[in-house]
Amino acid sequence: MPRWLPPFIAIIIGIALGLIYGWVISPVQFVDTTPNSLRADYRADYVLMIAETYHANQDAGLAARRLAIFGGDAPAAIAAQALQTGRASGYAPNDISLLQELTRAMQAYQPVPTIVGGTP
Amino acid sequence: MKRFPWEWLIAIIAGFALGLFYAWVLSPVRYTDTIPNTLRADFKDQFRIAIAASYASTHDLGRAKARLALLGDSDSSQALTAQSQRMLAAGESIEVVQQVAQLAANLQGGVMQIQPSVTAATTTSQIIVSPTVAVIGAATDASTVPVESPTTQSTPAIIFTPTPRPTHTPIPTPGAPYVLVAQDNICNPNLTDGLMQITVVDKHNRQIPGVEIIITWSSGEEHIFTGLKPDIANGYADYIMQAGVSYTVRVGESGTPAPNLIAPSCTDSGGQTFTGGLHLSFQQP
Repeated sequence: MPRWLPPFIAIIIGIALGLIYGWVISPVQFVDTTPNSLRADYRADYVLMIAETYHANQDAGLAARRLAIFGGDAPAAIAAQALQTGRASGYAPNDISLLQELTRAMQAYQPVPTIVGGTP
Repeated sequence: MKRFPWEWLIAIIAGFALGLFYAWVLSPVRYTDTIPNTLRADFKDQFRIAIAASYASTHDLGRAKARLALLGDSDSSQALTAQSQRMLAAGESIEVVQQVAQLAANLQGGVMQIQPSVTAATTTSQIIVSPTVAVIGAATDASTVPVESPTTQSTPAIIFTPTPRPTHTPIPTPGAPYVLVAQDNICNPNLTDGLMQITVVDKHNRQIPGVEIIITWSSGEEHIFTGLKPDIANGYADYIMQAGVSYTVRVGESGTPAPNLIAPSCTDSGGQTFTGGLHLSFQQP
């Protein structure tokens, strides 16, 4: 048996033990996740909640702020993605029309710019 | 005597370290398709707000319950109540707080009030709830979480049709005026002098947190809210009155004012006089 083989086998055994420990026994835990990591259908359901609320209050600014929970994507893109997921998942026609309404509103929505600084 | 195989032990430890580095740093377990109950607490709060706002619009209690279940709270109603109190303390919008508190109250009541004249929106939506195992690491409880999913799920699946969604049904509205239904003098020397205790309930006698109470007197005004002392009751609030001052109390902006409220003068068992308190009960008719 070559001299290098026993340490090599030992390292392989060690790596295997490390992987078992790191992936199975004590994997990295994601308990404080962000909405961005949610499965597509959960994201779509959240957007549907916003759409239901928007349908009642027609407050595009509030809807855009609540969609911002998903991070950097534009509200219109988030709504459009949810609409796509909803269609693919067989949402009820009423829910699809709510998502369409929200998507249109987000596409037309222009956030009011905040003026920073003092009065002239 | 054979010597201990140190080189083997060192090689195994080095390999273990390499494996752990790969598993924890280079290629950790990734959860890209997470479920709502793994969300950070503040994002869960945002979800509850969205659920409550949606419920305020659709009045679909079944759908709200299904969504709340995804957050994994042991008691959704309690979680909503606690959140509404945190929001009140943080000075957040009363309208949003009321939506959260209203959903909590309706969950406690178990039924939603729908006016008969309301037309239900046609919907054939079905929410499919099926058990799905979500492994959140070995250290956490790998529990079976009911997952609401619009996608086709494998059996066994519990399929239910949400209740028809009414349109624009006024829930116990903020505009419906609260009226004073009971007023009692409290002569208890163990209580704080001049303690005005207020209880606010809806027409079904359910305590309502997050309701604004406006107390005025000749030279001032104070705004307090129910629900900040959940250890006493969700619909409870209190205020310390000054002796000899006449107060007017109104619950909500449109509530019927209860005028001429004065802390009573009481006598204890030893003949000493002290300022007593009042207990006021307000209810939506």
